[in-house]
Amino acid sequence: MTAVAVARYLLADAVRSQRVVLPVVLQVAVLAVLFGGDPGRLPEPWGASVLTLYPVAAWLALTVAHTEDPVQRGVTVAAAGGFGPVAAGTLLVALAGDGGLAVLSVVWPLVTTPYSASPAVVVAGLLAHLAAGATGTAVGLLCARPWIRRIGRSLLVGAVVVIATAVQPWLPPVGSAVHALERGAGPDAFVLPVLLALGVAVLVAWAGVVRARRE
Amino acid sequence: MLRVEGVHKRYRHGPPVLAGVDLALGPGAPVVLAGGNGSGKSTLLRIVAGCAVPTAGRVTGRPAVVGYLPDRFPAQLRLPADAYLRHLARIRGVRPEPGLLDRLGFAGPRREPMARLSKGNAQKVGLAQALGAGAGLIVLDEPWAGLDAAAADTLADLLAEAAAEATVLVTDHTGRAARLRGARHLRLAGGRVGEAPPPPPAVAIVLRCPDAEQVRRRLAPAGRLEGGRLHLHAAPAESDAVLFTALQLGCSVESVGPA
Repeated sequence: MTAVAVARYLLADAVRSQRVVLPVVLQVAVLAVLFGGDPGRLPEPWGASVLTLYPVAAWLALTVAHTEDPVQRGVTVAAAGGFGPVAAGTLLVALAGDGGLAVLSVVWPLVTTPYSASPAVVVAGLLAHLAAGATGTAVGLLCARPWIRRIGRSLLVGAVVVIATAVQPWLPPVGSAVHALERGAGPDAFVLPVLLALGVAVLVAWAGVVRARRE
Repeated sequence: MLRVEGVHKRYRHGPPVLAGVDLALGPGAPVVLAGGNGSGKSTLLRIVAGCAVPTAGRVTGRPAVVGYLPDRFPAQLRLPADAYLRHLARIRGVRPEPGLLDRLGFAGPRREPMARLSKGNAQKVGLAQALGAGAGLIVLDEPWAGLDAAAADTLADLLAEAAAEATVLVTDHTGRAARLRGARHLRLAGGRVGEAPPPPPAVAIVLRCPDAEQVRRRLAPAGRLEGGRLHLHAAPAESDAVLFTALQLGCSVESVGPA
């Protein structure tokens, strides 16, 4: 699969650039503070880590999309046989990062705090994190190349979008997922937000291909 | 056969760069594209390679595996040369050709970030990723830039070998492409491509002069001073005049040969 090969290459390049370290450190720091004392019974404390994963995922996706400089990108696109596999590879790396951080965020309190959680609660927590992560990825990709060329401006626009949308408790999928966690809703309540977020992320990646082909 | 059909390209807020390029390219002999600065050579190469899309027109029959070397291959890559070649080969679904870097005389570290490489060595990595993929289409933008003489000769051999089975399209400003055997020469001007006579190969002249700096300023072609000797490149039509002037200025001729 060309997209997987592109993803492995972009991941290797992004890890070496060390820019991806900062968002990961941010998530880990929030988890350490959040679950360091007595966070209370799950799943409520996960609301904070879900809210953190949203901007972290946006930052991560934006960084991965900016990893290659435009000339280097041309070589990769020619090798991959088009813009599609490169965009798919970028999306895969960003979603894999979200998945890893989501699992970390869910497992952390199960290991470090005395509270246990039923499998249904654990699944609900994981899905809520995935919904926030995929939404962040969509926002991050929309604020990066080929839409916004310079990474500084990308970060600025991305931060504004995330701050404006993260504080709306009704707004799906992030706000509504956090709200559902606080209500103690079951896993069913999170399936639609996850699918919605993934759909938006794929749509944004596809729109990026269309846009890049027009340049 | 790769066909470029009625290709137009215009960037936003700019004049048209390509205005109806029609071209049929195939294996057999390397194709050399000439044209002035800013004539759109790099744009056409990007479109042929598939990393840019024309505003109008299309490219058909592009082989599945493409090797592309951009003008100014990025020297600031973070991956080491070996890892970069491995990843690019995997993206193309082929195995990297292990001996190619050695054949090009690559002399840098292979397991350290490519940003530490010299320009010439980075260019050799760029050539290796494009030529070592068993590609059906090889597109090289100024591949001789930054190469030493030995690597430049090797590149000419590599292109001749590759052109037997692959479609090869190159641009060149160094005069090296003029000596590619059996090459087909094209010229891009006014946004269109036409067949062109092969440019005459340049003549390399080495002089020893009493006041080399003054001679360098007097003679028309650009030259460089190296170890007290003046190295010049001249078109065949002007080489006699250059030699005549140099002798008049008291220089002695050390060598005259192909560039």
